[in-house]
Amino acid sequence: MTSATVWVLAAASIFGVGLYALIVARHLLRQLIAVNVMGSAVFVLLVVAAGPIAGALDGIPLALVLTGIVVAVSATGFALALLVRLAEATGSISLEDDGEPDDR
Amino acid sequence: MSLAVDLSIAAGLVVLAWRSLAGRDLFRGIVMYIVFGLLLAVTWARLGSPDLAMAEAAIGAGVTGALLMVAYWRLKRISPAEPEDRSPRRSRLAATVALLSTGMVAAIGLAAVQAIGPGGIAGRALFEALPATGLGNPITGVLVVFRNLDTVLEVAVLLAAYLAVRAVLGDRGESLAQPPPQEARLVGALVGVVAPLSVLVALYLLRAGSYLPGGAFQAGATLAACGVLLLLTGRLRAAADAGPWVRGALVVGTAVFGLFGVAMLAFGEPLLAIPGTWAVYLIETAMMVSIAVTLMLLFAGAAGLGGGRR
Repeated sequence: MTSATVWVLAAASIFGVGLYALIVARHLLRQLIAVNVMGSAVFVLLVVAAGPIAGALDGIPLALVLTGIVVAVSATGFALALLVRLAEATGSISLEDDGEPDDR
Repeated sequence: MSLAVDLSIAAGLVVLAWRSLAGRDLFRGIVMYIVFGLLLAVTWARLGSPDLAMAEAAIGAGVTGALLMVAYWRLKRISPAEPEDRSPRRSRLAATVALLSTGMVAAIGLAAVQAIGPGGIAGRALFEALPATGLGNPITGVLVVFRNLDTVLEVAVLLAAYLAVRAVLGDRGESLAQPPPQEARLVGALVGVVAPLSVLVALYLLRAGSYLPGGAFQAGATLAACGVLLLLTGRLRAAADAGPWVRGALVVGTAVFGLFGVAMLAFGEPLLAIPGTWAVYLIETAMMVSIAVTLMLLFAGAAGLGGGRR
């Protein structure tokens, strides 16, 4: 088992954890954290799967991930603003209907 | 031995991801997410990329964490009665979703393990072409010289996020927290030391970014962190309107990069050609200012910034 395998498997597990929480969680803030966690897992996959060149990491996925981190924080900031407006407008912080059958 | 270090960091990441998403206490989840971001920064350092480690610690953990905290506080104020998170209440689908997620983990894991390669053609071309640009940091090379259209658009995304937040929240200038009338003396001393040091660190990161780890994003995030400190201690306050300085700072990154790129056409160069390292510094400085101000305004959830009471 090489260290690249360790990182790839960890990233896949983190993605799975995020996906599970995204679907199961009801609070929108929690779902937003789940999306961010999934994004981080993708970043790790991107860098590790590209593999090294002459002992150093491939610079192109690194630059892509750096761009991705900044875009992720912009999207998170926008999503949080939408969330605050939703809470102001409806008083609720989830997208659930009250009488959902599989709720209980 | 080194595999054991990798294994323990990786296991820590998975546990922190789970802890930030499971459990009833949302505030604890946010704190766990910030710790997750910090351990991810350690991961990047371990993998051999100090650039990403700095960006992750400053933006991924720092700014995102601050944004989540502020949103949590705002939501708490809007509806204090709203239960924190009803999430781990068992949905009938939870087991199914868990099973499917596990299947997905296996699929991604298998596919990615087979995809681990010895670096791509583009990566090798990058290392061969980098010395000709006069830059020593391959990431800065990609961001500012080789794939700079992506970077222009990225700064534009930041600007779009600011405009979108303003469209959704309207012109607000609510201050985040009222600093107490009698401020502890330590706060002034702390700000007096930390603020100038942050500016110094940001300028160093900007300068070093062309040949060492660093660059406009890390520098901008450091300045933004300094701005968040000033906002929280009342040195700066959120304003309902963006003054000319704030507006200028918001667009300077996109404007300088874009105009510069178009201007090169007049000299018979291709679009977005970079004539030398001086141009790299000019563009990165403009980007740093825009990134810092945009992140600060996203944190404040406000249109502009004003001077504080102290």
